[in-house]
Amino acid sequence: MARNKIYLEEVFPSPFMQLWLIFRKTPVAMAGFSCFIFLIILSIFSPLLAPYSPIEGQLDMLLLPPAWHSDGNVSYLLGTDELGRDMLSRLMYGTSLTFGLSFVVVIISSVVGVIIGSLSALTTGMKSSFLNHFLDVILSIPSLLLAIIIVAILGPGISNTVWAVVMVLIPQFVHITRYAVKEEFRKDYVLASRLDGASPVRILYYSIFPNIVDRIMSQATMAQSAAILDIATLGFLGLGAQIPMPEWGATLANGLDLFYIAPWTVYLPGLAILFSVVSTNLVGEGIRHALKLRKEG
Amino acid sequence: MLIFTLRRLSLFVFTMLLLTMLSFSLSFLFPGDAVINLSGAINVTPAQLIELKARYHTDSNIIWQYIIYLKHIISGDLGLSMASQSVISHEIMNLLPATIELSLVALFIAMFIGIPLGFIAAIRHNKLSDNIILSVSMIGYSIPVFWLGLLAILIFSINLGWFPSAGQISLLFEIELVTGIQFIDILLSDSPYKWQAFRDATAHIVLPAFVIAIAPTTIFIRLSRTSMIEVLQTSYIRAASAKGLSFKQIIFRHAIRNALIKIIRHVGLQFASLVTIAMVTEVIFSWPGIGRWLIVSIAQRDYTAIQNGLLVLSCFIFVVHILTDFIYAALNPLARDKKYGT
Amino acid sequence: MNCLNSFISAILLIALLTACDDNSRLSLNQRSVIYCSEGSPDTFNPQLVTSGTTIDATSKQLYNKLIAYQGDENNLVPALAKSWHVTRDGKKVTFYLRKNVSFHQTDYFTPTRHFNADDVLFSFNRIIDHEHPFHLTSGGHYPFFQNIEFDSLIKKIEKINDYTIRFHLTRADNNFLANLATDFAVILSAQYAEKLNKNQQKQNIDIHPIGTGPFKLKEYRVGSLIRFYHHKAYWQGSAKIEQLVFDITSSNTGRLTKLLAKECDISSYPIAHNKITQRSDLTLESVTALNVGYFGFNTTQAPFNNILVRQAMAFAINKQVLLDTVYQGQAELAKSILPETSWAYDKTSKEQAFNLDKAKTLLAQAGYPDGFTMDLWAMPVQRPYNPNAITMAKLIQADLKKININVDIVSYEWNTFLHRLAQGEHQSFLLGWSADHPDPDNFFTPMLSCAASHIGSNRTFWCNQDYDDIIHKALETNNIEQRKQLYTQANAILNKELPLIPIAHSKRYQARGNNIVGKTMGPFGGISFYQVKKSPLTIAVKDETVQNKTKTKKVN
Repeated sequence: MARNKIYLEEVFPSPFMQLWLIFRKTPVAMAGFSCFIFLIILSIFSPLLAPYSPIEGQLDMLLLPPAWHSDGNVSYLLGTDELGRDMLSRLMYGTSLTFGLSFVVVIISSVVGVIIGSLSALTTGMKSSFLNHFLDVILSIPSLLLAIIIVAILGPGISNTVWAVVMVLIPQFVHITRYAVKEEFRKDYVLASRLDGASPVRILYYSIFPNIVDRIMSQATMAQSAAILDIATLGFLGLGAQIPMPEWGATLANGLDLFYIAPWTVYLPGLAILFSVVSTNLVGEGIRHALKLRKEG
Repeated sequence: MLIFTLRRLSLFVFTMLLLTMLSFSLSFLFPGDAVINLSGAINVTPAQLIELKARYHTDSNIIWQYIIYLKHIISGDLGLSMASQSVISHEIMNLLPATIELSLVALFIAMFIGIPLGFIAAIRHNKLSDNIILSVSMIGYSIPVFWLGLLAILIFSINLGWFPSAGQISLLFEIELVTGIQFIDILLSDSPYKWQAFRDATAHIVLPAFVIAIAPTTIFIRLSRTSMIEVLQTSYIRAASAKGLSFKQIIFRHAIRNALIKIIRHVGLQFASLVTIAMVTEVIFSWPGIGRWLIVSIAQRDYTAIQNGLLVLSCFIFVVHILTDFIYAALNPLARDKKYGT
Repeated sequence: MNCLNSFISAILLIALLTACDDNSRLSLNQRSVIYCSEGSPDTFNPQLVTSGTTIDATSKQLYNKLIAYQGDENNLVPALAKSWHVTRDGKKVTFYLRKNVSFHQTDYFTPTRHFNADDVLFSFNRIIDHEHPFHLTSGGHYPFFQNIEFDSLIKKIEKINDYTIRFHLTRADNNFLANLATDFAVILSAQYAEKLNKNQQKQNIDIHPIGTGPFKLKEYRVGSLIRFYHHKAYWQGSAKIEQLVFDITSSNTGRLTKLLAKECDISSYPIAHNKITQRSDLTLESVTALNVGYFGFNTTQAPFNNILVRQAMAFAINKQVLLDTVYQGQAELAKSILPETSWAYDKTSKEQAFNLDKAKTLLAQAGYPDGFTMDLWAMPVQRPYNPNAITMAKLIQADLKKININVDIVSYEWNTFLHRLAQGEHQSFLLGWSADHPDPDNFFTPMLSCAASHIGSNRTFWCNQDYDDIIHKALETNNIEQRKQLYTQANAILNKELPLIPIAHSKRYQARGNNIVGKTMGPFGGISFYQVKKSPLTIAVKDETVQNKTKTKKVN
């Protein structure tokens, strides 16, 4: 470990910082991370950055191909769709729907999941066993299927999709938190603070959380990539975002009828989804890789 | 093994009760009259409605109603589709086998490609081929499946003309529906074009099956890679190499078998996610399966169809789950004693 | 390692099968035609519907009518009736029937006699006689015939002998013959009905059809396919193809994909016309069809029961943009419900101006200064009068947004869509009308008469007594000038009341492989596959592709 201090005072970076130091050294993970940050910025500021409205079209600019095409127009960089809506603007607004919403979804479900998970880790006996079985059943149902089921009950729409995906992701967080907390509880440093008379909640907050936050983050990236794909898939199937929302999956479905005359209306949203999922997964891989190295090192 | 079986059976009964209860409560959660949601009989006359209510015992208490509902399900009465007024149990019997067929083919493809690749990656751990396999597999599970399906159609059906883009078989062949599984039906039929039909059906299943298989393949790559790496680090492998066995012998005699057993445990779980991917893929390849039917029903708010389609689909997934559990337990005696072996 | 063995054997099996020669497959392919249709039929009896999809799949394939239209002039020609005679007062019409016309022989019915007057009696009595044993089978609705008030028009149908039949009318109706020549007035088999009645299976008459047409039904899978075989003993000579398959593909892209991938020979309502015309092996064909696409309102529901709101809508919609975008300039802007090609077209009718201010004022007058939220039902399928209702709905959504009206777009599967419309669950809708015969009455009566509003084929539920009187009067005279005047009056009422806003008159399109020859479409009514055949040229082309594919095996 590098020591920059003159005094003989050992500074231990927090587990989270350790992870970051390792993470920073993996170029691929950093590339994914910068894409991830880029997407977050885009989803917050898309209304300021987008050149046109995502919903109202220029009716004299129908089905314009992207700018690099010979018939393209530089002011419509990625072309337009059948109603003359600028594809670039639609994709930018779509970022806040598909990527931004999935980010929000993951935050909500991780908070709820971590709370439930850590509380349940403190319980034992009958309740715990029931929860265990219940989680097993829920987790064996694929997230997309569960989301479809919930949307089927709530009815199609973007807000229902968001709730469905939140509900689908919660059990995963409950499961991983519960497992991690239980594991940590068996360790000596927890025993030490227990002997100091700390209450379980205090132990959770001050001792355990800093040590499991990286595992939860790794789970969060997995949840995020699943959430992006789920929201987009539901949008594509017409069960999620409704006309005329520029959600990527819905935009892609909208482009289906134009597939053979204006293929960019299908390629571009697909690429956008692929890009965001790959960058999320790269971050996740980076975290897991760093976790492994930290454990070994 | 007996205790194991009993345990599984009780879990099965418990889950079935839970699923039917959920499905039963759906009819109250959906908008509209519960009886109409259950039976799917829209446009009934008031007299018929009274008769329906009597059949579903709506005036008795909720538990009795649930028992009556169970009776209806067990007798195969799943009501009528609200959209088409056709009998749902018939539709499901026609559609479910097509989905099973597609998913099974995709599962085998995923296993036959994914597991060897994973083993190769594990054997060449941290080398170039390992990294290539891992990066490709990451792109594989990041691709949205509906997009991949569209690209596959564009490239292989339209531009290259290698494979057909839609359906189970060319409609020219008249194959009677017996089991619903196209290949078996073709073999059972007395069509003079049997073998051409078989070939045609094979060509039809290639694209959708490969598209579905992409994501599970990547999962199998990772699973088999991890389990192979674990096996290679065990002491019995080291003992074998100390004995002087060649690397080939170690891999084929010892490592593969032990690594495979660990993977089989996950097949059931993978099958569930595979069926979900198949639902989406069916929409793109117009595959006449239950997934496409269910998604159309959801879009049309055909509540009776949604309710029963979900029930049948989740029961099916669960049954597969339990079956793989049994297979795993049969192959691996250690698993039988575990308290919670899911 | 059992798995591995079976895998290898499976591969071997597939390789073995690939080696089979293609001859029989090709001949099967050559003897059959696959038509990608846009939706499932409702029933197999055209008497019961007005939906074009059902008519396409049933009428001209399975049945014949007494008389038919032929040629560009739309002359009435004999079909099952050899000849006919109308008395001078127009109240007695006698048909002399053709002999030796045989019905379909299928798995479920074997006819023992030829077509005769009993079949005609049965087919029409079922519609007009409310006591008829088959009248209430399948619901008892005969929308086309109820629209034209057929049961009050016909006093009696008299069988003079086995091959002569006479219709006694209560009043002269210049459209009577035209209506009998439409795709709805088909002839069913009385003998089959008798058998079904005996077996207590009356409903099968509309599910497992028996007719005299060039094709007979072999198999129907809802939402997936209809299989027809040719009727060998067809009275005009057997059809040139043996098997006709309707591949039901409701997605527009799906149909285009199948067409491009050669999985269907003919496709209904193709999208992406440029893509098809680019390809040298495909043909895009069109006929000028008599139709109108419109934006209609449920006039029994608020806010559209208010005439001012409807007028405001008319001002707020930019039709020219709809035409350019949705029809890609391939249609004429509709100024009235009648297309310009109809003889009754009023040349003075003017286009409603696009004027947002006016729309806002009207809306405020109607008591909605802040706008409202409404449902707009858009058809899920392409129809000749509207190639893409969803896109049109999106454009209307954007237009109405400007006058503070929020539009929710609603769509269902085609049959469900029509059923729900007929029940009046909608507020406003995009639909259209394709003519069944060339007379202008076929626009005015079925779309907007009171009779039609009762049975649900007038989905605006608009009912105006003056309008009804006028269009009735127009049926009673043969004086063209007088009729023209009456229709102009009717049109004036429509322009004022606006139960619907006519948008466009379009052509009907179809795409086919170049190897498919024979006419299928006409300016009105359903399609017919009787003339269709595959030219032998196909085999050469197909053979080439097959050889290319299996190059390694067939080295010459």
